[in-house]
Amino acid sequence: MARNGDEFKSMSGTGIEIRDLSKRYFPRRGVVVEAIRHLDLSVAAGAFLAIVGPSGCGKSTLLHLVAGLEEASSGSILIDGAVPEELVRRHRLGIAFQDSALLPWLSVESNLALPFKLAGRPVIRDRVSELIDLVGLKGFERARPSQLSGGMRQRTAIARSLCLEPDVLLLDEPFGALDVVTRRRLNIELERIWRDRAITTLLVTHSVEEALFLSDRTIVMEKPGAIAQVVDVPFPRPRTPELLRCDAFHHLTDQVTVWLQV
Amino acid sequence: MEVAQSRHTINTIYAVLGLALFLGLWQWAGKAGLAGPSLPAVSDVLRTLFSSDSFPLLSRSALSTLLSAAKGLLFGSSMAILLAIVMRLLPPLQPGLDRLALLVNAIPPIALGPILIVVFSRSRTPTVLAAIQVFFLFYVAASSGLSAPPGLNNVITAFGASHWKRLLYLELPSALPYLASGLKAAVSASFIGAILGEWFGAPQGLGLVILNAMQNFQIRLMWAAVTMAAAMSLTGFLAAAILEKILSRRFSA
Repeated sequence: MARNGDEFKSMSGTGIEIRDLSKRYFPRRGVVVEAIRHLDLSVAAGAFLAIVGPSGCGKSTLLHLVAGLEEASSGSILIDGAVPEELVRRHRLGIAFQDSALLPWLSVESNLALPFKLAGRPVIRDRVSELIDLVGLKGFERARPSQLSGGMRQRTAIARSLCLEPDVLLLDEPFGALDVVTRRRLNIELERIWRDRAITTLLVTHSVEEALFLSDRTIVMEKPGAIAQVVDVPFPRPRTPELLRCDAFHHLTDQVTVWLQV
Repeated sequence: MEVAQSRHTINTIYAVLGLALFLGLWQWAGKAGLAGPSLPAVSDVLRTLFSSDSFPLLSRSALSTLLSAAKGLLFGSSMAILLAIVMRLLPPLQPGLDRLALLVNAIPPIALGPILIVVFSRSRTPTVLAAIQVFFLFYVAASSGLSAPPGLNNVITAFGASHWKRLLYLELPSALPYLASGLKAAVSASFIGAILGEWFGAPQGLGLVILNAMQNFQIRLMWAAVTMAAAMSLTGFLAAAILEKILSRRFSA
């Protein structure tokens, strides 16, 4: 277990290189809040990295910085050698949040067509229906978000994030508002969907179980905005529901949970 | 849902009862001569309204006022919405234009009238004054409506949307319920503007009829014209309220 992720080098394709990244907020005059502090992190192309940590440790901020939604105070983020804004401009980023952030006036189908329209590309109907099928929403194409359950809304958001076949997938607590049973089922589905694609993925989560089940590597963050531990997850893929019941998995979950509470 | 439904029914019943009570009191006060000839009963006002002497004049004037109010509503709202969109695309201009809108709103319309007559003309003043009355309401509605919730904004940003695409797919649809509730307030404001504008010597309109009737002690004609104006304004308000209900059901979370 390494203290930092430096040897987790990118091979080819879209890896993420974060160097000496800091993010400071100035909420009032004379008050400085450090959300991220001199953080170094490398994510290999096609790897699944999960980030766990206590509330306010800066994990969501980190994701926002990688998505180009906020600007770093210092340091750099390079995705396949380019800044995040460049990736966003080329529509190569997929994203899903805890609040599904579906447009309430559009059907499931139209919400999935939206990324194509925003990118100014023709909507690939086959891919939309394939994704709807993949996340188990066949028959709900015309339903409005308000007519769906929380789990179904999150499935729609995940499907939407994959519409343009992104190079990088960013997931911020995508299942955070769901009950445990639904959450496990969606984790199993997400692992299956991800395995077929192997998109470089960052997942921010509160759930250690979710992080270890899904990721190749899990980092534990601590306040303020630094990496406390790096865990290389040893379990082979495909990961199945049986993994959730196996002793080695429980051991690792307990271990990481202890680190979280330090 | 059922509770909301029954509350809605109760509210409608109260509204109808209230209106009936108001009309009843008015009728009684008029017939009893509580305020002498200056307060005629509803039945007398309606008789005057639909009499062959006054109805052609009143309907012609009402149509003219309606046109001024509608044109003012259209001009004022399009200017306000356009300006709010420009604000979205050029955020540095926002504070300046917000202040300008506030300033325009702070000028009493009665003080603007003479200036408008000099700048435009007597016949255009009702429309222009209606537009000015409507402008601020729509500007506020459009600027608050166009700022979509941050969650939706973040997703749209991360998908690499341009400003125009964001406007088209996110901000304009989410502004629609706000614009409809702006319209609800703007309908009566446009009638106020139009009628006020007609007082400054417009060639026709309900404002002119009200003014002339008042000066010639044609009390019943004055009441009939006011009733007509109120009825038009109320009808417009109700139509806007229905539109708001439909749009907010369709376009809100």
